[in-house]
Amino acid sequence: MSAESISNTGAARARKVDLRVIGPLVALVVLILIGVMLNPNFLSYSNVTNVLARSAFIGIIAIGMTFVITAGGLDLSVGSMAAFVAGLMIMAMNWLSVSMGDSVVVILLGIVLALGAGLAAGFINGILITRAGIEAFILTLGTMGIYRSLITWLADGGTLSLGSGLSSLYSPVYYGGILGLSWPIIVFALLAILGEIVMRHTAFGRHCAAIGSNEKVARYSSVHVQRVKLATYVLLGLSVGIAVVMYVPRLGSASATTGLLWELEAIAAVIIGGTLLKGGFGRVWGTVVGVLILSLISNLLNLTDFVSPYLNGAIQGVVIILAVVLQRNSGPAR
Amino acid sequence: MSEPILALKGVTKSFGPIEVLHGVDFALRPGEVHALIGENGAGKSTTMKILAGYLSQTRGEIILDGKPIEFTGSDQVEDLGIIMIHQEFNLAEHLSVDQNVFLGRELKRGWRLDHRAMRTRTAELMSRLESRADPATPVSEISVPEKQMVEIAKALSRQARVLIMDEPTAVLTERETEVLFRQVERLRDEGVAILYTSHKLGEVKRIADRVTVLRDGIMVRSDLIDDVTEDDMATAMVGRELSDLYPPKSDRGAEPILEVSNVSVRGVVENASLTLHRGEVLGIGGLVGSGRTELAEAIAGLRPRTGTVMLKGQPLAAGQVAQAMKAGLVYLTEDRKGAGLLLEKSLRENLTLPLLKDFGRPLIDRKREEAALDRAIEDFAIKVPARNMAVGDLSGGNQQKLLLAKTLLSDPDVVIIDEPTRGIDIGTKQQVYNLIADLAAGGRSIIVISSEMPELIGLASRVVVMHAGRVAGELAGDAVTENGIVRLAMGMEQSGKENAA
Amino acid sequence: MHKTLITATALTGLFASPLLAETIGVSIPAATHGWAGALNYHAERTIERLEAANPDLDFVLTTTSGPSQQVSDIEDMVATRNIDALVVLPFESEPLTAPIQRVADGGVWVTVVDRGLAQEGIEDLYVAGDNDSFGRTAGTYFAENLDDGAKVVVMRGIASEVDNERVAGFEAALEGSGIEVLAMDHGNWNRDTAFGLMQDYLSRFPEIDAVWAADDDMAVGALAAIEQAGRTGEMIVVGGAGMKEMVARIRDNDTTVPVDVTYPPAMISTAIEMTALGVSGAAPVSGEFIIASELITADNAEDFYFEDSPY
Repeated sequence: MSAESISNTGAARARKVDLRVIGPLVALVVLILIGVMLNPNFLSYSNVTNVLARSAFIGIIAIGMTFVITAGGLDLSVGSMAAFVAGLMIMAMNWLSVSMGDSVVVILLGIVLALGAGLAAGFINGILITRAGIEAFILTLGTMGIYRSLITWLADGGTLSLGSGLSSLYSPVYYGGILGLSWPIIVFALLAILGEIVMRHTAFGRHCAAIGSNEKVARYSSVHVQRVKLATYVLLGLSVGIAVVMYVPRLGSASATTGLLWELEAIAAVIIGGTLLKGGFGRVWGTVVGVLILSLISNLLNLTDFVSPYLNGAIQGVVIILAVVLQRNSGPAR
Repeated sequence: MSEPILALKGVTKSFGPIEVLHGVDFALRPGEVHALIGENGAGKSTTMKILAGYLSQTRGEIILDGKPIEFTGSDQVEDLGIIMIHQEFNLAEHLSVDQNVFLGRELKRGWRLDHRAMRTRTAELMSRLESRADPATPVSEISVPEKQMVEIAKALSRQARVLIMDEPTAVLTERETEVLFRQVERLRDEGVAILYTSHKLGEVKRIADRVTVLRDGIMVRSDLIDDVTEDDMATAMVGRELSDLYPPKSDRGAEPILEVSNVSVRGVVENASLTLHRGEVLGIGGLVGSGRTELAEAIAGLRPRTGTVMLKGQPLAAGQVAQAMKAGLVYLTEDRKGAGLLLEKSLRENLTLPLLKDFGRPLIDRKREEAALDRAIEDFAIKVPARNMAVGDLSGGNQQKLLLAKTLLSDPDVVIIDEPTRGIDIGTKQQVYNLIADLAAGGRSIIVISSEMPELIGLASRVVVMHAGRVAGELAGDAVTENGIVRLAMGMEQSGKENAA
Repeated sequence: MHKTLITATALTGLFASPLLAETIGVSIPAATHGWAGALNYHAERTIERLEAANPDLDFVLTTTSGPSQQVSDIEDMVATRNIDALVVLPFESEPLTAPIQRVADGGVWVTVVDRGLAQEGIEDLYVAGDNDSFGRTAGTYFAENLDDGAKVVVMRGIASEVDNERVAGFEAALEGSGIEVLAMDHGNWNRDTAFGLMQDYLSRFPEIDAVWAADDDMAVGALAAIEQAGRTGEMIVVGGAGMKEMVARIRDNDTTVPVDVTYPPAMISTAIEMTALGVSGAAPVSGEFIIASELITADNAEDFYFEDSPY
C-alpha cells in the first residue's frame, strides 16, 4: 500500500474507533431512558439490584467467553455445562449432608466441587480443541449435548433440589450482601474489573488478541499459541463454575432446563459489547454492557404492556442488531 | 508512435486535505510495456488504482481510446478489458486453483458449472506459465510464487486490452520471472498495452519499452528504455546519487556459534548441515521451494524436525520457538503479512508481542512499551504518519523495518532473515543492508535467505545453496558468483566444497 | 364432552390371563421439564411392570425433542419393529396428524395421549388431561375465594395450544367476578424465567393479591422472588400439575400456597395399560378418556403426595 492512502484510512479508522467505543453505551443509555419514561419504578433500588443480580450468572460466563472469542474460539457448551455442574454440586451436597449434616463445610465442599468441575469441563473442551484439533464450534456443540443429557439423566428428567436445611444455609450467597449490594453483583463487578485488567494490561490478554487476529503471526512471534488457547477455555470453565456457585443458592435446584440458551446469551452479550466474533479484538467492559442491555430488555418488557408478549423475541432481536450496527456502521462501507 | 489506449491527463488525487498525486500525465500504448517506477509512497499504487477504476481522480481526465471517460468502478473497468494484477493476492484461499482463475466468470453448461472445461483451461494457462500447480489444489496449499502465477493466469484468462501488473515479480525467482516475461512479450506482440511496476531495475531494463519515474507524486522523467541506464533510474527515483548499494563486509570470527547437522523436515528438507560463525553473514541461496525457508523455520523451532541444532554449544530442542528465542536465535519470516505482523493492530502491539513478559509482569507497563517504540522508530528510521495507526496501513518498507525491529527486540545472537528486502524500494533496501552489516560488525551472526542473487553476493561472505531439499554446495570468498550459485541451485553440481576458497 | 375419570390401578387386576405376543410403540416428548420428566418416569415404570407381568408383551419407547424427530421415530417403529399398537403424545398437533393417520391406516392400533390431533377419528383411543379444566379450576378458585376487585398476575407457559386453552379456561372462570388481571406474561414453564418475571411484577405493581402460575415449576420461581422481596403474606400463589413440593406445602397449611390444580402425568400409564388391553382383545376398549383437573386442598393433599415420584 502506498503512503498517500494511509492518512485517509488512518482517519477513517480513528472515527470508527470512536463509534465502536460509544455504540453499546449509547444503546444502554437509550434503554435506560425508555425504561424511566415507561415505568417510574424502573430506577428503584429493588429493580436495579434485581436486574444486576440476575445478570450476574450470564455476565460471569460472558466475561470468560470474551477471552475465548477474542482468541478466535467459541464455546457453545457453557449453558449445559452450567446445568451439569449445578446438578453435580447439588447431588454432592445432598449426599455429604447425610453424613456431615447441614453444615457450612458441606457448602464449602460443594463450592470447591463446582469450581473444580467447571475447571475440568473447560479443560476437556480446551484440550480437545487444541490437541486433537477439533473445530471449536463442533466440539462444543457436542459437549453441549452431552452435558444437557447428563443433567437430564442425573435429575431423572425432573428437578434436582437442594435439601431445605442446606438451601436456607446457602441462600444468603445469592440473597445476602454488604452495603446494599448482593453478593452476585459484587462478584460480577469484581470479576469484570479483573477481566478488563487481564485483557488490557497483561501478556495473556494481548496474546489472546494476537492469536485471534492471526494465529500464524502469534506462533512466529514465539507466543505459546496452544497453551494460551487452552487457558481461555479453562478460564471459561472456571467462570461457569463461579456462576453456578452464585446460581444454586437462588432456587436451590437444577433441572434439564437450567441454563438453557445461556451460551447464546453470553455470546450475544460479548458481540454486542464490541468484541469481534472472528477474534482479534475483545473488551470485557463492553461485554458487561452487553449483558446489561440483554437483561434490561427483558426487564423492560416485563415492566410494561407495550407490546404483545409474543413479540418479546423480536424486540430483543432488534435491539441486539441495533447495538451492533451502531458500532460497526460508520462512514462509507468498505 | 501509435495512439494510446488508456491515458491520464493532468490527474491529481487528494485524500482529504493532502494531495498525493500532482498532475500526472501517463499513457499506455498498444504493444508497449511501460514501466512505472518509484520508491514506496511515490504514488505508483494510486496511479494504478486510478487506471483500474479502484480510485477516482480528484482532478484531470482519464482518456480511453481518445475520449474522456468516467470510471464508475473496477467491474466496469474490467468489462472494458482493463485488467489489474494485484500485489496482494486476491485469491480465495480455500478454493482450488481453477475455481480461483474463473471466480465470478465461471464457465457453464446450461445452468451447471462446466468443471471439466474450467480445469482444462486452467491447466493450459498454468502450463503456459510453466507452473506445476495442479488446478485442483486449494490455493492455500500452493507456494507464494505459484499464487502469483495463479493471479497471472487469472488475468491471462480474460481478454485484456490493458494489463496492469503491480510488482508481479516480487515473489518470483529469476527463472519464474523469465517465464513471466515470455508471457508479457507474447501479450505485447498481440497488441496489449502493459503497465509494469517493479523495484528490480534490472528487470525493468530487460522487459520495458518505456519507463516513467514518479517521485513524491510528481512525474520526474519519462523516457524510452534505451535512453536510460539503471543508475539514471535509481537516481531519478531517490532524487540523489546512490552510493554503493552494499556496505563493505566485515571479517567474521573463527568461533562457530550455530552448528546445524543432519536436519531433516519430512518431505521438504533432507540431512541439511551448515555452520555459522560469530560476526558472519551467511547466505542461503536456491530456488523458491528448494527447502530454504523450511530449513530456517526448522532451526528456529517453527517446524518439527530431526537432526541437531547447537547454539553456542548448547542443543536447541525441536519445535520450541520461544526457547530458541530465549537462547538467542530468531527468525524473520518471508511472509510479512501472513506470519510477520498483525496488520490490524498498532505498531506498539506488534513490536512488543514476542517479548511481552519483559515489559512488566503481571501488568504490562505501557510507558516502557512506548519507549521501546520510540527507540525502534528512531533506530530503524520507520516513517509513521500516526503513532497508533494500524500496521497494515504502513508502506511495505516501513512494515519491513518494523518487523526487523520486532525480531531484533530480544537482542539475539543469531538472526535468520528470510527475503530481507521483498517488495521494498531501493532506498529502504540500502537501509536494510546497512543494518545487516552493522549487526555483523557488532558481533552478531546473520543468515540471509534471498532469491535475489546480487543481494546474496553483496551481503554474504559465504553462501550455502540448496537444491531439492538438500544442501547442494557452499561457496565462499571470490567463488560467490551468480554463475556459481545458479549452477548449484539448478542441481547442475552436487558438490561438497570444491569451490570454497 | 364426555368425561370419565379413570384410575390406573383399577386396570392392573385384568392382567391375570396371558396376552398374545404384541409389540407396542410408545412415543413421548423428552424429559425437558418437570412434568415431562414425570411423564417419562411413569411411562418407564408402567412398561417395566407390564413387561414383567407379560413376557410376550414387547414395548418400544422413544423420547423426542421435536415434531420432526417424532415423525421419524414413529416411521422407524413401524418399519423396523413392526408395532401392533402406538401410544403417542404428539409434540404438536398439526405436523403429526398425517403421519399418525398413515400408521392408523396401516392397521396399527393408535392411542393418542393428551394433545389431540388436528383431525378427528384417527385414533382408537384418546386419553387426555383437560387443559380448559386446568385453567378453569384455578380461575374458579380465585373467583370464589378472592374479594371483588382483587388484583391477579398471571405467568403463562411457552406460547402454544396447551397454554392458550389453559388461559382461556382461566379467563372464562373469572368473568364477572370483578377480579382484575394486572398482567399476563410468559414464564415459559421455567423456574429461572419465572423468578425474573415475578421480580419484575413485584417492582411494577405495588399491590398484588394472587399469582396464577400455569405450572408448578413457575410457581417455585415466583415463590422465591416473593420471599426475596419480603412480600410473603401479601399474596397467594396457585400453580398447577401437582408437583410434590407444592403438594407438601398445601398439606402443611402454607398460607401462601393454599391450593394446587392437578394435571396428572400418570395419564401415560393409563394410556399404555388400556392400549395393552385393547390391542390384545382382552377387554373392549375405545373412545375418549378425559381426565379432568382436580383442586388439591389441605384436606385431600395426602392423596396426591407420592414420596418416590421425581415430580
